[in-house]
Amino acid sequence: MSAVNQRARAAQGGAAGAAQAHYAGGVVDDVMVVGVGGQGVIMAAAIIADTAMLGGLDVKLSETRGMSQRGGSVSSHIRIGETVVAPSISPGEVDYLLAFESAEGLRLAPSLVPGGVAIVNLQQIVPPLASQGDFAYPFDAVERMRAEGAAAGSSPAGDEARAAGYRVIAVDGNAVGEQVGSVKVAGVVLVGALSAHLPFARETWEEAIAANVPPSFLEMNLAAFAAGREVGA
Amino acid sequence: MDKVLMLGNEAIARGAWEAGVQVAAAYPGTPSTEIVTSLAGYDGVYAEWSTNEKVAYEVAFGAAMGGARALTAMKSAGASVAADPLISSVYTGINGGLVVCLAGDPGMASGMTEQDDRYFGRISSMPMLEPADSQECYEYVKLAFDLSEDFDVPVMVRLSIQVAHQKSIVRLDETLSGEETGRPAPERKPPDRKTEKYCLLPRFSRPLHISLLERVERLREFSEQSAADGVLAFVEPAAGADAGSGSADGPAALPLRDGGSARIGVVTAGAAYISAREALPQASFLKLGMIQPLPIEAIRRFAATVDRLFVVEELEPYLEEQLLAAGIACEGKRWFPQWGELTPVRVGRGFYEAGLDLPRWAREKAAEDVSVIPRPPVLCTGCPHRGMATAMKKLDLDVHGDIGCYDLTTLPPVSHMHSAVEMGASIPMEQGFTRAGGSEKGSIAVIGDSTFLHSGLTGLLNAVHQRTNVTVLIQDNSITAMTGGQTNPGNERTLAGAETKPVDIAAICRALGVEHIVTVDPYDYQACLDALKAGLAFDGPAVIITNRPCMLFPRKVGGAAYVVDEELCNACQQCMKLGCPSLSHTDATWKNRHKVAIDLETCTGCLLCAQLCKPGAIAPAAPAPAPATATKAGDA
Repeated sequence: MSAVNQRARAAQGGAAGAAQAHYAGGVVDDVMVVGVGGQGVIMAAAIIADTAMLGGLDVKLSETRGMSQRGGSVSSHIRIGETVVAPSISPGEVDYLLAFESAEGLRLAPSLVPGGVAIVNLQQIVPPLASQGDFAYPFDAVERMRAEGAAAGSSPAGDEARAAGYRVIAVDGNAVGEQVGSVKVAGVVLVGALSAHLPFARETWEEAIAANVPPSFLEMNLAAFAAGREVGA
Repeated sequence: MDKVLMLGNEAIARGAWEAGVQVAAAYPGTPSTEIVTSLAGYDGVYAEWSTNEKVAYEVAFGAAMGGARALTAMKSAGASVAADPLISSVYTGINGGLVVCLAGDPGMASGMTEQDDRYFGRISSMPMLEPADSQECYEYVKLAFDLSEDFDVPVMVRLSIQVAHQKSIVRLDETLSGEETGRPAPERKPPDRKTEKYCLLPRFSRPLHISLLERVERLREFSEQSAADGVLAFVEPAAGADAGSGSADGPAALPLRDGGSARIGVVTAGAAYISAREALPQASFLKLGMIQPLPIEAIRRFAATVDRLFVVEELEPYLEEQLLAAGIACEGKRWFPQWGELTPVRVGRGFYEAGLDLPRWAREKAAEDVSVIPRPPVLCTGCPHRGMATAMKKLDLDVHGDIGCYDLTTLPPVSHMHSAVEMGASIPMEQGFTRAGGSEKGSIAVIGDSTFLHSGLTGLLNAVHQRTNVTVLIQDNSITAMTGGQTNPGNERTLAGAETKPVDIAAICRALGVEHIVTVDPYDYQACLDALKAGLAFDGPAVIITNRPCMLFPRKVGGAAYVVDEELCNACQQCMKLGCPSLSHTDATWKNRHKVAIDLETCTGCLLCAQLCKPGAIAPAAPAPAPATATKAGDA
């Protein structure tokens, strides 16, 4: 009978310099990737999680599945640290929100931690319900996020942390993707934008991308990543 | 050490493969599907999508009787379907190891109910292990095979969706790691031929029940010993505390909101463990790995080290009641909800309400802004279910559905399905509805190909035998679509990729004795209406079968896009009733109603909208080029 490990499963040491320092002392980064079924949210989450693992950290990921393929909202939670217990992020604790679609960004923005970062793709996908005229699609989602994010001090008195809003970085992932070859790599552009904020080496990200995209499209994806990393900083 | 990120379900598959599993059988069902999908990719494993969970269980059971290690996997509802062999196989025991993976869906991400599957362990006396992350999935399934053979009993690995669908790091056994490294060839035991063991006639099953109960006692001793050794149950001290500090004095006391303090202990397992540990890392935990039979004496010893003992578990008070029955004081459902997924915040709020001083959980925080436009899943562009759904709505029928993508027509914008309960329910429920007097405009049973082949046949046979005048619509899209495109007997290939003979659904209906069987193209709206009317008018059981494949599986179906001539469009909104994701309103209006545009990127040219368009405003995007050069006008 094999001995079942007793939770001594944190990083086996070897986390590379910057990442190791960043996560020392129990820091956990909570990254949420949101979008619409079919946009590539799941692959982006896999790249982020693989990067963390290759960087020597513990990582857990959970995602919506099943019916999400039918054009519904999808989200992936990625938690990175020396030791991660729960795979899902708790409300109000998202450090980085990566939104593939702007209304989905607006929807999840309240889950950001004070001082958090929202990277929002400008793409807008109007659901059929809005087309029915029953609901209004928020075409001003990015502007509303900017206004909310900048609204410092809108929190209950005495809660110092709440004095900080959140930062909004708008990225035209589809346009950047098209510039480097195809709108299909827009998701990797967004991953590139996120990479500017996490403490992992560029090579680690590139290794994770290589593990998740077909070899024939690797070059285009790496170009998308590089372009995204530039606009996301 | 070889580290890989794996879904809990993938880790189950990997562990089962390393343990020498030779036969795996399942019917797809969220959140269990990936177990057998993954196993099909390993060398030396026979894996199949069976016609239903009972059949799958029996295939795996038979393989175990035949001396191989075997596995079956199912969702909660699947366990209800397979309950008969699940219970009986604990009487007979096995030969080769048999592992039953049962994946529950608290919170109902896609399930129809959130039944607590642990009671299948109780009702059957099947031992149950419950892992909490992918690493434990990998390790526990191997252990489960050993236990199965050591105790001559199927062993359940109970999963919750948070565990089955989490991705976390698995450290693979170094001696077996790497895709290229094969496992040692599994050894098949000589097949069993033991009448007194496998024939559950009363004369044999009476003594088998007695030996079953004796086996439970031996398993209880194992469970206690394993907990005493810290293997399947172990004490985890407060985060940051010395591993040795969980001693006789117990853990350090935690502050309470009333100014006092108390030594806090938590008994938990599986998904509830990860949420509770996240919520209260400063407490001491007894983390259980074997939840049937419980190591009750180990729990009693742990309880003695704390002032307040909490039991954290999803859904029913399964652990709590057993602790209370054993005289162990504890607090559970008083603080933690009996419904839904137990997330860290829900557990944290419970601890807070119970009086613990926990700033992290002191306030309710927003998870999302629900006022932003809802985005529920919808039928895909070009989905072959859409035509019939729209036609049934037009005729205002009472629609009794089943389990499949067509359930999305219960929701806006179609909003026209009136029951969808469990696999195979549509046809018999429609019979009962008809026997009760039916409805004025008529009623119909709607079922997909996979569900019909899963458990629809016997219902239809009943209608024929009873001469009940029902109309049945079989939406045959030639795949098990909702769970992600698994094969079924209507396909030309099996899960393993072997060629097979696709079953002829019309021929089945004919053989069952149905005298009115019509096959219809669901993209032809008028034909849909006509077929429905003819079926309803027929005196006797009538079957209508649609004949277009799923748009997504096995391959994405494309076609030439269509456009709306904005001049001709009079904004009548007929096309919008379809709920097609490729149709949207434009800024242009007519009589205060928005005109409609078609998204050229996603339109597949199914033409349903054109058939509903009264002014005839919908035409091919490209002006009828020669077929060979027809392309999608992508950047118009």
